[in-house]
Amino acid sequence: MFELFVLLIKVFVVMNLALVLASLCTWLERKGSALIQDRVGANRAGAFIESDKWFLKPALPLVRMMGWLGVINTLVCDSLKGLAKEDFTPEGTSKFLHAVAPIIAVLPILLAFAVLPFAPDFTLFGYHIQAQVARIDAGLLFVLAMGSVAVYGVAIAGWTGNNKFSLLGSLRAAAQMISYELPMGLVFVALIVVFGSLDIYTIVERQGELLWGFVPQWGIVMQPVGFVILLLAGMAETKRGPFDLPEAESELAAGYFTEYSGMKFLLFWLGEFAEIGLFAMLLALLFFGGWHIPWVTLPEGVWWAAVLGHVVLMVKVVFFCVLQIVIRWTLPRFRYDHLMNLGWKMLLPLSLINLIGTAVVKVAL
Amino acid sequence: MTFMGFVLALCAVASGIGVIGFRNPLYSAFSLVANLMTMAGLYALLDAHFLAVSQIVVYAGAIMVLVLFVLMLLNLKVEGGPKLGVVRATIALGAGVLILMTAVQPIFRHFEGMSAINLRENAARTVGDVASIGEQLFGRYLVQFELSSLVLLIGIVGAVMLAKRKSATLAPRDGYQGAKEV
Repeated sequence: MFELFVLLIKVFVVMNLALVLASLCTWLERKGSALIQDRVGANRAGAFIESDKWFLKPALPLVRMMGWLGVINTLVCDSLKGLAKEDFTPEGTSKFLHAVAPIIAVLPILLAFAVLPFAPDFTLFGYHIQAQVARIDAGLLFVLAMGSVAVYGVAIAGWTGNNKFSLLGSLRAAAQMISYELPMGLVFVALIVVFGSLDIYTIVERQGELLWGFVPQWGIVMQPVGFVILLLAGMAETKRGPFDLPEAESELAAGYFTEYSGMKFLLFWLGEFAEIGLFAMLLALLFFGGWHIPWVTLPEGVWWAAVLGHVVLMVKVVFFCVLQIVIRWTLPRFRYDHLMNLGWKMLLPLSLINLIGTAVVKVAL
Repeated sequence: MTFMGFVLALCAVASGIGVIGFRNPLYSAFSLVANLMTMAGLYALLDAHFLAVSQIVVYAGAIMVLVLFVLMLLNLKVEGGPKLGVVRATIALGAGVLILMTAVQPIFRHFEGMSAINLRENAARTVGDVASIGEQLFGRYLVQFELSSLVLLIGIVGAVMLAKRKSATLAPRDGYQGAKEV
Protein backbone atom coordinates (compact mmCIF):
# COMPACT_ATOMS: atom_id res chain seq x y z
CA MET A 1 0.00 0.00 0.00
CA PHE A 2 2.76 2.40 0.97
CA GLU A 3 4.62 1.57 -2.23
CA LEU A 4 1.56 2.33 -4.36
CA PHE A 5 1.13 5.62 -2.50
CA VAL A 6 4.78 6.55 -3.13
CA LEU A 7 4.42 5.57 -6.79
CA LEU A 8 1.35 7.79 -7.18
CA ILE A 9 3.22 10.70 -5.60
CA LYS A 10 6.14 10.11 -7.94
CA VAL A 11 3.83 10.04 -10.98
CA PHE A 12 2.25 13.29 -9.76
CA VAL A 13 5.66 14.91 -9.29
CA VAL A 14 6.97 13.82 -12.69
CA MET A 15 3.77 14.87 -14.50
CA ASN A 16 4.00 18.26 -12.84
CA LEU A 17 7.67 18.46 -13.71
CA ALA A 18 6.88 17.86 -17.39
CA LEU A 19 3.98 20.29 -17.49
CA VAL A 20 5.76 23.00 -15.50
CA LEU A 21 8.78 22.69 -17.80
CA ALA A 22 6.41 22.96 -20.78
CA SER A 23 4.72 26.09 -19.45
CA LEU A 24 8.07 27.59 -18.47
CA CYS A 25 9.26 27.00 -22.04
CA THR A 26 6.07 28.58 -23.38
CA TRP A 27 6.71 31.70 -21.35
CA LEU A 28 10.43 31.71 -22.25
CA GLU A 29 9.46 31.40 -25.90
CA ARG A 30 7.00 34.31 -25.78
CA LYS A 31 9.07 36.69 -23.72
CA GLY A 32 12.46 35.44 -24.89
CA SER A 33 11.58 35.81 -28.56
CA ALA A 34 10.48 39.39 -27.82
CA LEU A 35 13.83 40.06 -26.13
CA ILE A 36 15.80 38.55 -29.00
CA GLN A 37 13.79 40.42 -31.64
CA ASP A 38 13.97 43.70 -29.67
CA ARG A 39 10.22 43.80 -29.05
CA VAL A 40 8.39 44.37 -25.80
CA GLY A 41 6.35 41.17 -25.89
CA ALA A 42 3.34 40.22 -23.79
CA ASN A 43 3.06 42.73 -20.92
CA ARG A 44 -0.58 43.78 -20.62
CA ALA A 45 -2.88 41.05 -19.28
CA GLY A 46 -3.11 41.46 -15.51
CA ALA A 47 -0.54 44.25 -15.34
CA PHE A 48 -3.09 46.88 -14.23
CA ILE A 49 -5.34 44.67 -12.15
CA GLU A 50 -7.20 46.41 -9.31
CA SER A 51 -9.36 45.05 -6.53
CA ASP A 52 -11.09 46.39 -3.41
CA LYS A 53 -11.38 42.98 -1.75
CA TRP A 54 -9.16 42.97 1.33
CA PHE A 55 -8.06 39.34 0.90
CA LEU A 56 -6.84 40.00 -2.63
CA LYS A 57 -4.87 43.14 -1.75
CA PRO A 58 -1.62 41.50 -0.58
CA ALA A 59 -1.40 39.38 -3.75
CA LEU A 60 -1.97 42.28 -6.15
CA PRO A 61 1.66 43.47 -6.54
CA LEU A 62 2.74 39.92 -7.36
CA VAL A 63 -0.08 39.48 -9.89
CA ARG A 64 0.77 42.83 -11.52
CA MET A 65 4.40 41.78 -11.73
CA MET A 66 3.35 38.48 -13.36
CA GLY A 67 1.17 40.36 -15.81
CA TRP A 68 3.93 42.79 -16.63
CA LEU A 69 6.28 39.86 -17.30
CA GLY A 70 3.72 38.23 -19.59
CA VAL A 71 3.23 35.16 -17.42
CA ILE A 72 -0.54 35.65 -17.10
CA ASN A 73 -0.85 36.25 -20.82
CA THR A 74 0.94 33.03 -21.80
CA LEU A 75 -0.35 30.71 -19.09
CA VAL A 76 -3.88 31.89 -18.31
CA CYS A 77 -5.15 33.85 -21.31
CA ASP A 78 -3.80 31.57 -24.01
CA SER A 79 -5.12 28.36 -22.48
CA LEU A 80 -8.55 29.91 -21.78
CA LYS A 81 -8.64 31.16 -25.36
CA GLY A 82 -7.82 27.64 -26.56
CA LEU A 83 -10.69 26.18 -24.55
CA ALA A 84 -13.16 28.79 -25.74
CA LYS A 85 -12.42 28.52 -29.44
CA GLU A 86 -14.42 26.56 -31.98
CA ASP A 87 -13.32 22.94 -32.28
CA PHE A 88 -13.06 22.49 -36.02
CA THR A 89 -12.99 19.09 -37.76
CA PRO A 90 -12.30 18.94 -41.49
CA GLU A 91 -14.74 17.02 -43.68
CA GLY A 92 -14.00 13.76 -45.44
CA THR A 93 -11.63 12.29 -42.87
CA SER A 94 -11.88 10.14 -39.81
CA LYS A 95 -13.14 12.25 -36.91
CA PHE A 96 -11.75 9.68 -34.50
CA LEU A 97 -8.20 9.88 -35.84
CA HIS A 98 -8.43 13.66 -36.01
CA ALA A 99 -9.28 13.77 -32.31
CA VAL A 100 -6.74 11.11 -31.33
CA ALA A 101 -3.73 12.58 -33.16
CA PRO A 102 -2.93 15.40 -30.66
CA ILE A 103 -3.15 12.90 -27.80
CA ILE A 104 -0.71 10.54 -29.55
CA ALA A 105 1.60 13.50 -30.11
CA VAL A 106 1.66 14.44 -26.41
CA LEU A 107 1.35 11.12 -24.56
CA PRO A 108 4.72 9.51 -25.53
CA ILE A 109 6.58 12.66 -24.53
CA LEU A 110 5.00 12.62 -21.08
CA LEU A 111 5.59 8.86 -20.83
CA ALA A 112 9.28 9.31 -21.61
CA PHE A 113 9.64 11.35 -18.40
CA ALA A 114 8.80 8.15 -16.49
CA VAL A 115 12.31 6.71 -16.95
CA LEU A 116 14.18 9.95 -16.17
CA PRO A 117 15.37 10.20 -12.56
CA PHE A 118 14.73 13.67 -11.10
CA ALA A 119 16.87 13.39 -7.94
CA PRO A 120 19.26 10.94 -6.30
CA ASP A 121 17.74 8.09 -4.28
CA PHE A 122 17.01 8.86 -0.65
CA THR A 123 15.69 7.30 2.51
CA LEU A 124 12.58 8.72 4.16
CA PHE A 125 10.86 7.26 7.25
CA GLY A 126 13.05 4.19 6.87
CA TYR A 127 11.97 3.58 3.28
CA HIS A 128 14.39 3.63 0.37
CA ILE A 129 12.79 5.81 -2.28
CA GLN A 130 13.88 5.93 -5.92
CA ALA A 131 13.25 9.37 -7.38
CA GLN A 132 12.13 7.87 -10.68
CA VAL A 133 8.79 6.40 -11.73
CA ALA A 134 10.14 3.35 -13.58
CA ARG A 135 13.70 2.14 -13.25
CA ILE A 136 13.93 -0.31 -16.16
CA ASP A 137 17.26 -1.59 -17.41
CA ALA A 138 16.59 -0.30 -20.94
CA GLY A 139 15.76 3.24 -19.81
CA LEU A 140 17.79 5.04 -22.43
CA LEU A 141 16.21 2.98 -25.20
CA PHE A 142 12.74 3.74 -23.81
CA VAL A 143 13.27 7.47 -24.39
CA LEU A 144 14.25 6.72 -27.99
CA ALA A 145 11.20 4.48 -28.43
CA MET A 146 8.82 7.13 -27.13
CA GLY A 147 10.41 9.70 -29.42
CA SER A 148 9.76 7.46 -32.40
CA VAL A 149 6.17 6.78 -31.34
CA ALA A 150 5.51 10.53 -31.19
CA VAL A 151 5.93 10.55 -34.99
CA TYR A 152 2.52 8.89 -35.30
CA GLY A 153 0.72 11.85 -33.77
CA VAL A 154 2.25 14.11 -36.37
CA ALA A 155 1.67 11.67 -39.24
CA ILE A 156 -1.98 11.07 -38.34
CA ALA A 157 -2.56 14.79 -37.80
CA GLY A 158 -1.23 15.60 -41.25
CA TRP A 159 -3.23 12.86 -42.90
CA THR A 160 -6.54 13.75 -41.25
CA GLY A 161 -6.03 17.38 -42.25
CA ASN A 162 -7.12 16.17 -45.69
CA ASN A 163 -5.19 18.79 -47.60
CA LYS A 164 -1.84 19.00 -49.32
CA PHE A 165 -0.18 21.36 -46.83
CA SER A 166 -0.96 19.12 -43.88
CA LEU A 167 0.11 15.96 -45.68
CA LEU A 168 3.36 17.51 -46.89
CA GLY A 169 4.07 18.77 -43.39
CA SER A 170 3.52 15.37 -41.82
CA LEU A 171 5.61 13.60 -44.48
CA ARG A 172 8.41 16.06 -43.84
CA ALA A 173 8.09 15.52 -40.10
CA ALA A 174 8.15 11.73 -40.43
CA ALA A 175 11.19 11.76 -42.74
CA GLN A 176 13.01 14.24 -40.53
CA MET A 177 12.32 12.44 -37.28
CA ILE A 178 13.37 9.04 -38.67
CA SER A 179 16.55 10.53 -40.16
CA TYR A 180 17.64 12.20 -36.94
CA GLU A 181 16.74 9.24 -34.75
CA LEU A 182 19.67 7.28 -36.21
CA PRO A 183 22.50 9.60 -35.06
CA MET A 184 20.67 10.01 -31.76
CA GLY A 185 20.57 6.25 -31.24
CA LEU A 186 24.25 5.94 -32.14
CA VAL A 187 25.16 8.64 -29.60
CA PHE A 188 23.21 6.68 -27.00
CA VAL A 189 25.19 3.55 -27.93
CA ALA A 190 28.48 5.47 -27.52
CA LEU A 191 27.28 6.66 -24.10
CA ILE A 192 26.42 3.09 -23.17
CA VAL A 193 29.94 2.04 -24.18
CA VAL A 194 31.45 4.77 -21.99
CA PHE A 195 29.33 4.25 -18.89
CA GLY A 196 28.58 0.54 -19.30
CA SER A 197 24.85 0.74 -18.66
CA LEU A 198 21.53 1.50 -20.34
CA ASP A 199 20.03 2.59 -17.05
CA ILE A 200 19.94 6.38 -16.82
CA TYR A 201 20.36 6.38 -13.04
CA THR A 202 23.56 4.34 -13.28
CA ILE A 203 24.85 6.65 -16.01
CA VAL A 204 24.27 9.69 -13.81
CA GLU A 205 25.88 8.02 -10.81
CA ARG A 206 28.96 7.13 -12.86
CA GLN A 207 29.28 10.80 -13.81
CA GLY A 208 29.87 11.65 -10.17
CA GLU A 209 33.25 9.91 -10.31
CA LEU A 210 36.47 11.68 -11.16
CA LEU A 211 38.56 10.94 -14.23
CA TRP A 212 42.32 10.69 -13.44
CA GLY A 213 41.44 11.98 -10.00
CA PHE A 214 40.62 15.57 -10.93
CA VAL A 215 38.29 15.86 -13.97
CA PRO A 216 34.60 15.20 -13.31
CA GLN A 217 33.57 12.24 -15.44
CA TRP A 218 30.69 14.10 -17.08
CA GLY A 219 29.27 13.05 -20.44
CA ILE A 220 30.47 16.29 -22.00
CA VAL A 221 34.05 15.38 -21.05
CA MET A 222 33.77 11.77 -22.19
CA GLN A 223 31.66 12.40 -25.31
CA PRO A 224 32.07 16.01 -26.56
CA VAL A 225 31.19 15.06 -30.15
CA GLY A 226 28.24 13.02 -28.94
CA PHE A 227 26.90 16.05 -27.08
CA VAL A 228 26.93 18.22 -30.21
CA ILE A 229 25.25 15.46 -32.26
CA LEU A 230 22.58 14.87 -29.62
CA LEU A 231 21.88 18.60 -29.29
CA LEU A 232 21.36 18.94 -33.05
CA ALA A 233 19.39 15.70 -33.39
CA GLY A 234 17.29 16.62 -30.36
CA MET A 235 16.39 19.98 -31.83
CA ALA A 236 15.45 18.25 -35.09
CA GLU A 237 13.30 15.77 -33.15
CA THR A 238 11.38 18.58 -31.48
CA LYS A 239 10.72 19.98 -34.97
CA ARG A 240 11.80 23.41 -33.82
CA GLY A 241 14.37 26.04 -34.39
CA PRO A 242 16.17 25.83 -37.69
CA PHE A 243 14.53 22.42 -38.17
CA ASP A 244 10.88 23.52 -38.24
CA LEU A 245 10.22 22.53 -41.86
CA PRO A 246 7.16 20.40 -40.99
CA GLU A 247 5.36 23.58 -39.98
CA ALA A 248 7.14 26.06 -42.24
CA GLU A 249 4.54 28.83 -42.27
CA SER A 250 5.88 30.53 -45.40
CA GLU A 251 5.33 27.43 -47.55
CA LEU A 252 2.88 25.11 -45.80
CA ALA A 253 0.40 27.37 -43.96
CA ALA A 254 1.02 25.70 -40.58
CA GLY A 255 2.11 22.27 -41.81
CA TYR A 256 0.69 19.21 -40.14
CA PHE A 257 -1.57 21.06 -37.69
CA THR A 258 -3.09 23.44 -40.23
CA GLU A 259 -6.59 22.07 -39.63
CA TYR A 260 -6.41 22.05 -35.86
CA SER A 261 -7.96 24.68 -33.66
CA GLY A 262 -8.72 25.32 -30.03
CA MET A 263 -7.40 22.98 -27.39
CA LYS A 264 -6.31 20.29 -29.88
CA PHE A 265 -3.98 22.84 -31.46
CA LEU A 266 -2.66 23.78 -28.04
CA LEU A 267 -2.04 20.09 -27.28
CA PHE A 268 0.46 19.97 -30.14
CA TRP A 269 2.22 22.97 -28.62
CA LEU A 270 2.16 21.32 -25.22
CA GLY A 271 3.81 18.26 -26.73
CA GLU A 272 6.43 20.38 -28.44
CA PHE A 273 7.30 22.35 -25.32
CA ALA A 274 7.27 19.23 -23.15
CA GLU A 275 9.70 17.73 -25.65
CA ILE A 276 12.02 20.72 -25.21
CA GLY A 277 11.91 20.05 -21.48
CA LEU A 278 12.51 16.34 -22.10
CA PHE A 279 15.59 16.99 -24.20
CA ALA A 280 16.91 19.59 -21.79
CA MET A 281 16.55 17.03 -19.00
CA LEU A 282 18.16 14.30 -21.11
CA LEU A 283 21.13 16.54 -21.94
CA ALA A 284 21.52 17.52 -18.29
CA LEU A 285 21.30 13.92 -17.10
CA LEU A 286 23.48 12.29 -19.75
CA PHE A 287 26.08 14.97 -20.43
CA PHE A 288 26.14 17.40 -17.51
CA GLY A 289 26.22 15.11 -14.55
CA GLY A 290 22.54 15.29 -13.59
CA TRP A 291 22.39 16.26 -9.90
CA HIS A 292 26.17 16.19 -9.37
CA ILE A 293 28.12 19.33 -8.54
CA PRO A 294 31.76 19.02 -9.72
CA TRP A 295 34.20 18.15 -6.92
CA VAL A 296 31.42 18.16 -4.34
CA THR A 297 30.25 14.88 -2.87
CA LEU A 298 26.86 15.04 -1.22
CA PRO A 299 25.98 12.51 1.48
CA GLU A 300 24.09 9.55 0.04
CA GLY A 301 20.50 8.77 0.86
CA VAL A 302 19.70 11.91 2.89
CA TRP A 303 16.52 13.75 1.96
CA TRP A 304 18.08 17.22 1.88
CA ALA A 305 20.80 15.94 -0.47
CA ALA A 306 18.03 14.71 -2.77
CA VAL A 307 16.30 18.10 -2.65
CA LEU A 308 19.57 19.90 -3.34
CA GLY A 309 20.31 17.44 -6.17
CA HIS A 310 16.91 18.15 -7.67
CA VAL A 311 17.54 21.89 -7.57
CA VAL A 312 20.97 21.45 -9.20
CA LEU A 313 19.42 19.28 -11.92
CA MET A 314 16.66 21.81 -12.55
CA VAL A 315 19.18 24.65 -12.92
CA LYS A 316 20.90 22.66 -15.66
CA VAL A 317 17.58 21.74 -17.28
CA VAL A 318 16.42 25.36 -17.40
CA PHE A 319 19.76 26.33 -18.89
CA PHE A 320 19.24 23.87 -21.76
CA CYS A 321 15.63 25.01 -22.24
CA VAL A 322 16.89 28.58 -22.63
CA LEU A 323 19.67 27.41 -24.95
CA GLN A 324 17.21 25.62 -27.25
CA ILE A 325 14.90 28.64 -27.37
CA VAL A 326 17.78 31.03 -28.09
CA ILE A 327 18.96 28.80 -30.95
CA ARG A 328 15.42 28.58 -32.29
CA TRP A 329 15.05 32.37 -32.44
CA THR A 330 18.56 33.02 -33.74
CA LEU A 331 19.06 30.74 -36.73
CA PRO A 332 17.06 30.86 -39.97
CA ARG A 333 15.22 27.79 -41.23
CA PHE A 334 17.10 25.11 -43.17
CA ARG A 335 16.34 24.30 -46.80
CA TYR A 336 14.99 20.77 -47.03
CA ASP A 337 17.96 19.22 -48.87
CA HIS A 338 20.34 20.92 -46.44
CA LEU A 339 18.41 19.31 -43.61
CA MET A 340 18.68 15.84 -45.14
CA ASN A 341 22.35 16.36 -46.00
CA LEU A 342 23.10 17.39 -42.44
CA GLY A 343 21.32 14.34 -41.09
CA TRP A 344 22.58 11.64 -43.43
CA LYS A 345 25.91 12.95 -44.69
CA MET A 346 27.20 14.78 -41.62
CA LEU A 347 25.64 13.59 -38.37
CA LEU A 348 25.25 9.89 -39.23
CA PRO A 349 28.88 9.29 -40.35
CA LEU A 350 30.12 11.52 -37.52
CA SER A 351 28.17 9.54 -34.94
CA LEU A 352 29.41 6.26 -36.45
CA ILE A 353 33.03 7.47 -36.27
CA ASN A 354 32.37 8.69 -32.74
CA LEU A 355 31.00 5.29 -31.75
CA ILE A 356 33.89 3.35 -33.29
CA GLY A 357 36.43 5.75 -31.76
CA THR A 358 34.79 5.41 -28.36
CA ALA A 359 34.81 1.62 -28.61
CA VAL A 360 38.50 1.59 -29.65
CA VAL A 361 39.49 3.85 -26.75
CA LYS A 362 37.40 1.78 -24.34
CA VAL A 363 39.05 -1.47 -25.47
CA ALA A 364 42.55 0.08 -25.51
CA LEU A 365 42.28 1.42 -21.95
CA MET B 1 -0.55 -8.48 -13.55
CA THR B 2 -2.61 -11.36 -14.92
CA PHE B 3 -5.55 -8.99 -15.41
CA MET B 4 -3.35 -6.56 -17.36
CA GLY B 5 -2.12 -9.49 -19.42
CA PHE B 6 -5.67 -10.44 -20.37
CA VAL B 7 -6.55 -6.86 -21.28
CA LEU B 8 -3.46 -6.58 -23.46
CA ALA B 9 -4.11 -9.96 -25.08
CA LEU B 10 -7.67 -8.91 -25.88
CA CYS B 11 -6.41 -5.65 -27.40
CA ALA B 12 -3.83 -7.61 -29.40
CA VAL B 13 -6.48 -9.93 -30.85
CA ALA B 14 -8.85 -7.03 -31.58
CA SER B 15 -6.16 -5.00 -33.34
CA GLY B 16 -5.01 -8.13 -35.19
CA ILE B 17 -8.55 -8.57 -36.55
CA GLY B 18 -8.47 -4.88 -37.40
CA VAL B 19 -5.37 -5.37 -39.54
CA ILE B 20 -7.17 -7.78 -41.87
CA GLY B 21 -10.69 -6.41 -41.32
CA PHE B 22 -10.41 -2.77 -42.36
CA ARG B 23 -11.06 -1.86 -45.99
CA ASN B 24 -8.90 1.26 -45.72
CA PRO B 25 -5.21 0.21 -45.86
CA LEU B 26 -4.24 3.13 -43.62
CA TYR B 27 -6.54 1.89 -40.84
CA SER B 28 -5.04 -1.58 -41.23
CA ALA B 29 -1.58 -0.07 -40.78
CA PHE B 30 -2.69 1.79 -37.64
CA SER B 31 -4.19 -1.45 -36.29
CA LEU B 32 -0.87 -3.18 -36.90
CA VAL B 33 0.88 -0.41 -34.94
CA ALA B 34 -1.59 -0.93 -32.09
CA ASN B 35 -0.99 -4.68 -32.30
CA LEU B 36 2.80 -4.24 -32.06
CA MET B 37 2.34 -1.92 -29.09
CA THR B 38 0.16 -4.38 -27.20
CA MET B 39 2.70 -7.13 -27.89
CA ALA B 40 5.39 -4.85 -26.47
CA GLY B 41 3.15 -4.38 -23.45
CA LEU B 42 2.92 -8.15 -23.00
CA TYR B 43 6.71 -8.45 -23.18
CA ALA B 44 7.02 -5.70 -20.57
CA LEU B 45 4.59 -7.59 -18.31
CA LEU B 46 6.91 -10.60 -18.55
CA ASP B 47 9.77 -8.34 -17.36
CA ALA B 48 11.41 -8.46 -20.79
CA HIS B 49 11.85 -4.68 -20.87
CA PHE B 50 14.59 -4.67 -23.43
CA LEU B 51 12.58 -6.82 -25.83
CA ALA B 52 9.51 -4.62 -25.34
CA VAL B 53 11.39 -1.40 -25.96
CA SER B 54 13.25 -2.72 -28.98
CA GLN B 55 9.94 -3.96 -30.40
CA ILE B 56 8.64 -0.39 -30.20
CA VAL B 57 11.85 1.15 -31.56
CA VAL B 58 12.27 -1.22 -34.49
CA TYR B 59 8.76 -2.21 -35.57
CA ALA B 60 6.41 0.48 -34.33
CA GLY B 61 8.93 3.31 -34.49
CA ALA B 62 10.77 2.67 -37.74
CA ILE B 63 9.26 0.04 -40.03
CA MET B 64 5.60 0.97 -39.59
CA VAL B 65 6.38 4.68 -39.98
CA LEU B 66 7.90 3.87 -43.38
CA VAL B 67 4.85 1.78 -44.31
CA LEU B 68 2.54 4.62 -43.29
CA PHE B 69 4.73 7.05 -45.19
CA VAL B 70 4.31 5.05 -48.40
CA LEU B 71 0.56 4.54 -47.85
CA MET B 72 0.05 8.27 -47.34
CA LEU B 73 2.12 9.14 -50.41
CA LEU B 74 0.17 6.69 -52.60
CA ASN B 75 -3.12 7.93 -51.10
CA LEU B 76 -4.88 4.63 -51.81
CA LYS B 77 -8.63 4.61 -52.18
CA VAL B 78 -10.77 2.28 -50.12
CA GLU B 79 -10.89 -1.05 -51.91
CA GLY B 80 -14.23 -2.65 -52.74
CA GLY B 81 -12.88 -6.13 -52.19
CA PRO B 82 -13.92 -9.32 -53.98
CA LYS B 83 -17.37 -10.77 -53.45
CA LEU B 84 -17.21 -14.24 -51.90
CA GLY B 85 -19.84 -16.90 -52.57
CA VAL B 86 -21.02 -19.17 -49.75
CA VAL B 87 -19.02 -22.16 -51.02
CA ARG B 88 -15.79 -20.22 -51.42
CA ALA B 89 -16.26 -18.53 -48.06
CA THR B 90 -16.73 -21.91 -46.36
CA ILE B 91 -13.64 -23.33 -48.04
CA ALA B 92 -11.62 -20.27 -47.08
CA LEU B 93 -12.81 -20.42 -43.47
CA GLY B 94 -12.04 -24.15 -43.22
CA ALA B 95 -8.56 -23.68 -44.66
CA GLY B 96 -7.94 -20.78 -42.28
CA VAL B 97 -8.97 -22.81 -39.23
CA LEU B 98 -6.78 -25.73 -40.36
CA ILE B 99 -3.74 -23.51 -40.80
CA LEU B 100 -4.37 -21.85 -37.44
CA MET B 101 -4.62 -25.22 -35.71
CA THR B 102 -1.39 -26.53 -37.21
CA ALA B 103 0.35 -23.30 -36.24
CA VAL B 104 -0.99 -23.16 -32.69
CA GLN B 105 -0.78 -26.86 -31.79
CA PRO B 106 3.03 -27.06 -31.32
CA ILE B 107 2.92 -23.92 -29.18
CA PHE B 108 0.33 -25.47 -26.91
CA ARG B 109 2.30 -28.69 -26.73
CA HIS B 110 5.41 -26.78 -25.77
CA PHE B 111 3.72 -24.96 -22.92
CA GLU B 112 1.72 -27.94 -21.65
CA GLY B 113 1.52 -28.01 -17.87
CA MET B 114 2.72 -24.43 -17.48
CA SER B 115 0.22 -21.96 -16.10
CA ALA B 116 0.55 -18.30 -16.98
CA ILE B 117 2.10 -17.50 -13.63
CA ASN B 118 4.74 -20.18 -13.58
CA LEU B 119 5.48 -19.29 -17.21
CA ARG B 120 6.31 -15.85 -15.94
CA GLU B 121 8.55 -17.29 -13.26
CA ASN B 122 10.29 -19.48 -15.80
CA ALA B 123 10.83 -16.77 -18.38
CA ALA B 124 11.28 -13.66 -16.30
CA ARG B 125 14.62 -12.20 -15.28
CA THR B 126 16.58 -14.69 -17.36
CA VAL B 127 15.79 -13.91 -21.00
CA GLY B 128 14.47 -10.38 -21.24
CA ASP B 129 17.07 -8.06 -19.78
CA VAL B 130 19.85 -6.39 -21.71
CA ALA B 131 22.73 -8.43 -20.31
CA SER B 132 21.27 -11.87 -21.01
CA ILE B 133 20.12 -10.95 -24.53
CA GLY B 134 23.57 -9.49 -25.21
CA GLU B 135 25.27 -12.65 -23.96
CA GLN B 136 23.07 -14.84 -26.16
CA LEU B 137 23.50 -12.65 -29.25
CA PHE B 138 27.24 -12.13 -28.98
CA GLY B 139 28.05 -15.53 -27.53
CA ARG B 140 25.98 -18.51 -28.52
CA TYR B 141 24.33 -17.05 -31.62
CA LEU B 142 27.16 -14.82 -32.82
CA VAL B 143 27.50 -16.44 -36.28
CA GLN B 144 23.75 -16.40 -36.93
CA PHE B 145 23.56 -12.78 -35.72
CA GLU B 146 26.35 -11.64 -38.04
CA LEU B 147 24.92 -13.66 -40.95
CA SER B 148 21.51 -12.04 -40.52
CA SER B 149 23.11 -8.59 -40.55
CA LEU B 150 24.85 -9.62 -43.80
CA VAL B 151 21.47 -10.64 -45.25
CA LEU B 152 20.05 -7.25 -44.30
CA LEU B 153 23.02 -5.51 -45.91
CA ILE B 154 22.47 -7.48 -49.12
CA GLY B 155 18.81 -6.43 -49.03
CA ILE B 156 19.74 -2.76 -48.67
CA VAL B 157 22.29 -2.87 -51.48
CA GLY B 158 19.82 -4.72 -53.70
CA ALA B 159 17.07 -2.15 -53.05
CA VAL B 160 19.43 0.71 -53.86
CA MET B 161 20.56 -1.03 -57.06
CA LEU B 162 16.98 -1.59 -58.23
CA ALA B 163 15.94 1.97 -57.42
CA LYS B 164 19.00 3.46 -59.16
CA ARG B 165 18.51 1.45 -62.34
CA LYS B 166 14.88 2.52 -62.63
CA SER B 167 15.52 6.23 -62.14
CA ALA B 168 18.37 6.18 -64.66
CA THR B 169 16.07 4.94 -67.45
CA LEU B 170 13.50 7.66 -66.76
CA ALA B 171 13.99 10.56 -69.14
CA PRO B 172 14.27 13.90 -67.34
CA ARG B 173 11.28 16.17 -67.90
CA ASP B 174 11.91 19.27 -69.96
CA GLY B 175 13.86 21.88 -68.09
CA TYR B 176 14.19 19.77 -64.95
CA GLN B 177 17.80 18.81 -64.34
CA GLY B 178 17.24 16.90 -61.15
CA ALA B 179 18.08 18.07 -57.65
CA LYS B 180 21.47 19.72 -57.61
CA GLU B 181 24.10 18.52 -55.19
CA VAL B 182 25.03 21.16 -52.67
